[in-house]
Amino acid sequence: MADPLAQRLKHLIVETLRLEDVQPDQISDDEALIGSGLSLDSIDALELVVRLEREFGIKITTSEESKMALASISSLTAFVRDRADPARLA
Amino acid sequence: MSAPSPASEARNPGPSWGYRFLRIADRLLPEFVFKPCRAIGTVVAMAAMPEQRRHSRDYLRHVLPRRVRLLDVFRHFFAFEEALMLRLRLVNGRTIPCRYAQGSDAFSEWMDKGGPVLLGSMHVGVSDMLGCQIGGVHHRRVYIVRQRVGNSHDTDQMRVLFGLHIEFIWVNDPDQMLFSLKEAAATGDAIAMQCDRLGHSARAEAFDFLGAKRLFPFTIYHLAHIFHRSVILSVGTTEADGTSMLHASPRFEYHNGESREDGLNRARAHFQAFLAQVESLLRSRPFLWFNFVPLNPTVQTDAEPASRIE
Repeated sequence: MADPLAQRLKHLIVETLRLEDVQPDQISDDEALIGSGLSLDSIDALELVVRLEREFGIKITTSEESKMALASISSLTAFVRDRADPARLA
Repeated sequence: MSAPSPASEARNPGPSWGYRFLRIADRLLPEFVFKPCRAIGTVVAMAAMPEQRRHSRDYLRHVLPRRVRLLDVFRHFFAFEEALMLRLRLVNGRTIPCRYAQGSDAFSEWMDKGGPVLLGSMHVGVSDMLGCQIGGVHHRRVYIVRQRVGNSHDTDQMRVLFGLHIEFIWVNDPDQMLFSLKEAAATGDAIAMQCDRLGHSARAEAFDFLGAKRLFPFTIYHLAHIFHRSVILSVGTTEADGTSMLHASPRFEYHNGESREDGLNRARAHFQAFLAQVESLLRSRPFLWFNFVPLNPTVQTDAEPASRIE
């Protein structure tokens, strides 16, 4: 069964970055989010990071952290689950 | 904030001791001796910089209503040198009063009240002094996005002089730069960046400038959307009375709830209007465009809404 947090993150990515040609379900859990795959650039990454911080109350302060978190949906899900304010995960 | 990255050697090919030398000479020599020396130095620099000479000539072809002569290229180089000298004099402690051109109310209001704004500028005239004017005279804290180059003596000195009010974010490490921007945006202070060279810009779009559709950085408006900030664009010129004049755009406001595309369309109109203002300024004072690099590239059609530079 699909992880609800992963599904929520896919929707958040599509909505935040207005990926008109992409449906949330089309994003695979292990697909690279930056560079290849969705072809997101550094501004997309920044926008996504800011949105994630607002949505989940987390802090991503370095490019290394962001690369680690945004490597794929799986890694992003684990990152958010680990760092987020539990009240915002519900 | 971000630590300075290794200096880029590709730009500002002058010697690393050059700025120190100019500052010392300015203190020791009377102007009637020093100015001709600077002119001779400019001729030497011109001779040693064939690439910059070629780019100067290419640019001048677009703004001068006649054939470009070698003297025009010299005047272009010398105008740059004199603007640099003014900046070094500021570092030497001289006060250079700043006035506002007509229509620059948004900037003067921001100077009075402060607030979290994105300040866009261009390599025109003495625009580089803007951060110092803001930090040094008006005591507003500004984060300045810059490329660290080999001879950054003036920048380093400004940091020493205006340390409490100016913080540099170096673009040499683009990934980390974005996170430094994010940190700066969280402070509520102003963030200043150049909006004419494509070098490190993540997003560019085509605008009418000097007779063609040309690509310009458009990242500042994306940052406005991400950080919910407004944008004011400006350039600075020197005036005959020794003051500097600030030419600014109206404020581009971020509207909460507005769709991204509507916001970007307003942003395009805002940037285009400012470019028209800059072009008008350059047509009356052509030697103030201090980009000795290829003119912004042209695009074939205006149907292409945006292009990304990875």
